[in-house]
Amino acid sequence: MLVFLLGEAFRDLRRAGRVAASAVVLITLSLTAVGGFWVLSSNVGRAVAEWRDRVRVIVYLRGEPAPGEAQALVERARELPGVASARYISKTEALATLKSTLGKDAAVADQLPSNPLPASLEVTPSETGATPEGARALVASLSTLPEAEEVAGGMDWVQRLTQWQQLLATIGLGVGAVLGVAAILTVTTSTTLVLHARRNETEIMRLVGAPEVVIRLPLFLQGMMQGLLGALIAIGALTASYAFFAPRVEPLVTLTLGLPRLTFLQPLGLATLVAAGTLLGGCGGLLARGRRDP
Amino acid sequence: MIELHRVCKVYGVGPVKVSALSDISFRIAKGEFTILTGPSGSGKTTLLRLLYRADVPSEGDVEVLGQSVPKLRRSAVAALRRSIGIVFQDAKLLPDRTVFENIAFVLRVLGTPRREITQRAFEALRAVGLSARAQAYPSQLSQGEAQRAALARAIVRQPPLLLADEPTGNLDEGMAAELIEVIRDIWAGGTTVLLATHQARLASQLKRRLLVMEDGRLLKDQG
Repeated sequence: MLVFLLGEAFRDLRRAGRVAASAVVLITLSLTAVGGFWVLSSNVGRAVAEWRDRVRVIVYLRGEPAPGEAQALVERARELPGVASARYISKTEALATLKSTLGKDAAVADQLPSNPLPASLEVTPSETGATPEGARALVASLSTLPEAEEVAGGMDWVQRLTQWQQLLATIGLGVGAVLGVAAILTVTTSTTLVLHARRNETEIMRLVGAPEVVIRLPLFLQGMMQGLLGALIAIGALTASYAFFAPRVEPLVTLTLGLPRLTFLQPLGLATLVAAGTLLGGCGGLLARGRRDP
Repeated sequence: MIELHRVCKVYGVGPVKVSALSDISFRIAKGEFTILTGPSGSGKTTLLRLLYRADVPSEGDVEVLGQSVPKLRRSAVAALRRSIGIVFQDAKLLPDRTVFENIAFVLRVLGTPRREITQRAFEALRAVGLSARAQAYPSQLSQGEAQRAALARAIVRQPPLLLADEPTGNLDEGMAAELIEVIRDIWAGGTTVLLATHQARLASQLKRRLLVMEDGRLLKDQG
């Protein structure tokens, strides 16, 4: 029976002709839009996660504490909420780091009459301290330390990156939803044409007492086939686009976002696109209504 | 097998009403061959449509195979139709399928096992004398052959009841006689037959029970 129903669905698909092709194109476009924004959004999300891990808050100190006081200061800082760890950086270590950063120009630092760099605490926020709100609270509480001259660092730009990620996801879903609705309507139209083209079959089926499910299932299946075909083409287009653009964009992404390389959709994501396309087509197939007996 | 109790059918919406059937009652026993005759527009097709629930009566009851047809649920209507073979004036063959495929189509939609389909389809074709034309497309058939193919499709499930609505309407005398002979053979095999025709001569030649209709009323029940 399934072979027969699939055969009828293929026959219906051929009958729908250009309208079915339009439906496939629309499903392809909607899933390509969703998939494309999904790839962008997931890579920005990876950058956000990586940068959250790297965020440090620096507490510049008024003066250089004695070795015993420095250790006590580190302990006090560690006990503050939102702090995962804290490390004391002496004036000498700060100057050494500067020289290392300057590289061949390190001699410039040697010409300074005295070490102008302040001692500091390098604070790594905990998971709660790495959120935009947590970071603001952390900066505020570190500022209350009597030894603190200035507190630098925060999550504002990570927050902005997160907002970009959310915007990309929203645009992707929005564009995908609009095109998805258009795709459903087109599949419905093509299925209505199929209903008209197969009215003789339907009449015979009803006259001989075929169950309603046998009459409707080929319509549903041909809708699903349109959706499946659209999803497979969309995945092909996404894969080809990724293969073409990723190597060209990766250096820029590494420079700006710090990601060593871009990633494509995971198998689960691809399976979701296929399922979404098939579902879109199936919905269109189900929505078409034909004439029924009284 | 078939029983109608004071059946009326009125068409129309609002104030304009057209009475298609008025106060029709009769009974057809199992194994009977009955001719329903009368001029075009007398209500024969409407009456047949009530029997396979393509329509419902405005009043009265229609019983087929022991079931009150108007009261049947949708799933039960499909089950009823599986017990009825129906032939129309227009053969209603699917043009893009061969004669064999047209007949096999019915068996396939009803879930008949694949190995049975070929055997049963060819039995039906043999019964109507059309085995040699199994691979022909409807466009390659004469009208008589097309009607015989439609008849094969109607009987392929070996239904206990055959309804034929003007099956000879488009045929010349010779072809009509051939088709009637085939229907007689089917009846002789035990199938109850109700044949509607406006051809009075054909009706009288058959020498079977005659139900004569006019203007939606049953005028005579003879034989």
